[in-house]
Amino acid sequence: MIRDLATLLFFPGGLSVLLAGMAFAWLDRKLLAQLQNRLGPRWFQPLADAVKLLAKEEVVPAGVNRLLFVSLPVVALAGALTAVLYIPLWGLPPAASLPGDLVITVYLLSLLTLCTGLAGANSGGRFSLLGATRTLTQLFAYEAPFLMALMGPALAAGSWQIGVIMAGINGRWLLLTQPIGFLVALIGLMGKLEMPPFDAPEAETEIVAGALTEYSGRGLALFYLGRSVELVLGLTLVAAFYLGGLTNPAAFLLKTLGLLFFVAVVQSLMARLRIDQTVGLWWRYGALLVLLQWLVLWGGRWL
Amino acid sequence: MHTNEHTQKAETFIVPIGPQHPALREPGHFEFTIEGEIVTAASVRLGYAHRGIEKGTESRNWVQNLYMLERICGICSHIHATAYCLGVEQLAGVEAPPRAQAIREMVGELERTHSHLLWLGEAAHEAGFETLFMYAWRDRETVMDILEALTGNRVNYSANLLGGVKYDVTAEQASKIEQGLDYLEERTRHYLDVVTSDPVFIQRTRGIGVMTAVQADRLGVVGPTARASGVVRDVRVEAPYAAYADFPITPVLAQAGDLEARFVVRLKELFESYNVIRRILANLPSGDLVLKRMPRRIKAGETISRVEAPRGELFYFIRSNGSDTPDRVKVRTPTLCNMASVLTLTVGRHLADVPMILVGIDPCFSCNDRGLVLKRGDEHEHWTWDRLRQVGLEHYAGEQGSGGAGGKSISPAPLPPCPPALLTGMHV
Repeated sequence: MIRDLATLLFFPGGLSVLLAGMAFAWLDRKLLAQLQNRLGPRWFQPLADAVKLLAKEEVVPAGVNRLLFVSLPVVALAGALTAVLYIPLWGLPPAASLPGDLVITVYLLSLLTLCTGLAGANSGGRFSLLGATRTLTQLFAYEAPFLMALMGPALAAGSWQIGVIMAGINGRWLLLTQPIGFLVALIGLMGKLEMPPFDAPEAETEIVAGALTEYSGRGLALFYLGRSVELVLGLTLVAAFYLGGLTNPAAFLLKTLGLLFFVAVVQSLMARLRIDQTVGLWWRYGALLVLLQWLVLWGGRWL
Repeated sequence: MHTNEHTQKAETFIVPIGPQHPALREPGHFEFTIEGEIVTAASVRLGYAHRGIEKGTESRNWVQNLYMLERICGICSHIHATAYCLGVEQLAGVEAPPRAQAIREMVGELERTHSHLLWLGEAAHEAGFETLFMYAWRDRETVMDILEALTGNRVNYSANLLGGVKYDVTAEQASKIEQGLDYLEERTRHYLDVVTSDPVFIQRTRGIGVMTAVQADRLGVVGPTARASGVVRDVRVEAPYAAYADFPITPVLAQAGDLEARFVVRLKELFESYNVIRRILANLPSGDLVLKRMPRRIKAGETISRVEAPRGELFYFIRSNGSDTPDRVKVRTPTLCNMASVLTLTVGRHLADVPMILVGIDPCFSCNDRGLVLKRGDEHEHWTWDRLRQVGLEHYAGEQGSGGAGGKSISPAPLPPCPPALLTGMHV
C-alpha cells in the first residue's frame, strides 16, 4: 500500500516525473535557444514559472462553465501522470502492466490535447476558439499516423503490452528496420506537443496563445506541466520502441536526450506550417508512409 | 478603407487584431471577418500613435524641427531628416556641398540596410521561422555598429544639418565599413538562398498575397512592395536627390508580386546598397561638410521634398512664411500608401497568411499615424477636405479666443491639397 502510494506520488511517477518534465522542458528550450543564437533560460526557469503561476490567482472569464474551466487542466495533467505508470521511465520496468496498455497509454497521452481543445472551446474568446479548432484539427491529423507508427514495433513483437513489446524487441534497434515508423513517431510527438513547425494551434502572431489564451495562474501551470511530462513520456516511449529498449537509467538518459537534441534541431530548422499544410503533411505523407512500412512488415512475415 | 459588410455583422466571426496583439509591434487595429480559416473581409483603423508632430513643428524653429522630425520613425530616422533638410535648403535657395550630399546618401543606404535586415527578421518571425529571425538580427548588429561608429548613435543618428552633415568619414572608418559590408554581403547572399530555396518557408511565401502590377498601380503602393509587383517606382531613380545623380542605383524589380518576391526584392536591394556605399567611399567628393552660412529665417514659399525611404516614397510638404519657424509641415509616410494593399490582399487568404501579408509591406504605424480619424458608433461619413479644414480652423480659432497658445496667428492661406486617396481612404 505505502509502496503503491510512493510509486504514484514520488517515484517513478508523481513528483519525480514532474521534475524530469521540467528539466527536459528546460533542456529543450536551452538547446533551441543555442541553435538560434540566443542565450536561453536559466536552469530553474520552468520550475520558477510553475511556482509563480501556481501561486497566482486563476482568472475565470465571465460566461464560461466554471467547473470545466477549472477541472480541464487537472484532468490533462492527471492523464499524463497516469500514463507514466505504463511506461518504462528511468529505464525501469513499467510500474503497471496489463494486456493492451499501449492503447491505454496513447489514449491517456491524447487527453492533454483533448483537454486543451475543450478548454479553448469553453473559454469563449475568439483566439481561444480558433486555437481550439486548430488544436483539434491537428489532433485528427497526427494522432492516427502516430498511433500507427507506435504499432510497428507492436506488430513486430506481436503484442499490445508495452512490457512484452520491449521483451520482444530484446535490444534490437528497430530504428534500422523501421526508419519510417521512427520518424513518424518522433515527428508525431512534436505535433502532439505543438512544437514548431507544428505550432499553428498556438501561433502567437496570429491567435495570441491559441486555446490557452484565457488561462492564467494554476490552470496554465497545470497545462504546462502536463506538456512537460508528455515530452518525457513521449521521448521515453519512442526510445524504448525504436532505439533498442531502455534497460538502465544510463541508457534512458542517453537515448532520450539524444532524441531531444534531434527534436530541437528539427524545431530550429523550419518555419511554422499553416494548419491546412500540417493536415496535408500528415495524411498525404505521414499516414501513407507508415502504411507502406506496415506492408513491408507484413510482407516480411510471409517471406 | 473597409470592405466588411455591416449587414452581415450578426452572423460573422470577426478576429480583432490590435491595437495590442503579439503580431503587431505598434498599435493598429484590424478586423478580419473569417469563415473557418479563410478571411472574407478586412478593415483597418489607424491613428493610435498620433503624436501631433506636424503641429509641433509650427512652434519650433527650423533647426529644432530637424531633430523632432527625425524621431517620426525609429527605424528610418535619417531619411526623414534628409527629406526635411533637402526641402528647407530648396526653400532657402541653397545647396549642401557635394561631400555632404554623398555622406547623406551613404548614411541613407546604411539605414536601408539596417531597416531591410530588421524587416527580414520580423517577417521570418511572423512566419514562425525564429532561427532566421535571430540570425538576421544578429547580422544587423554589424550595420548598427557601423552607424554607431560613424555618428555615435545606433538609431537617431542626427547626421544631417541644415545645409550639410555633421559627421565626416575618416579613412579608418571607411575601411571598417568596407569590412562590415563584405560580411553583410556574404550573409545577405545566404539569406537570399534561404528564402528562395527553403521548402517549408516557400510554402508560406510563394504564391501568397499576389498583387499584379495593375493592382499595385491602382492601389498606389510604393517602395519595395510596388517593385516586387514589377512597378518601377523609386524616387532615387525617378527624381535623384542628394547624391543619387552621381552615385546612381539600379532599381530591383520582381514580377511575381507575391510574398516571396517582396523578400527577394528587399534582399537584392541590399546588394545595390552595398555597392553604392562602396562606390561612395571610393569616390567621396572633397570639400566642406556644411555650408558656411545657412539662414536662420527661411524665405517665404512652399516646396515638396520626396525621398525614397526603406519602405517607399516619403513625401514632405514644407511651407515657410519667412519667419524662423515653418508655417506648415506635412509628412506622408509610405506605410499609409501601402496599407490599402493589405486589406485587398488578405481577403480570400488563410488567417495564418494575414500577419505575413501585413508584414510584407513593412508597416510602420507610428510613422504613419497623423490623420484625423473619428469613429462614432456605426455612423460613417466621409469628410471632405474643406469640411475637415473648416473644423480645424474653428477649433484653433476657439482656442485662440480663450487666450490659448501664445497668440500664434492662424494662416489664412489655403492648406496644401491632400492626395484624394488619403482622405477617402479613411472612414471618419
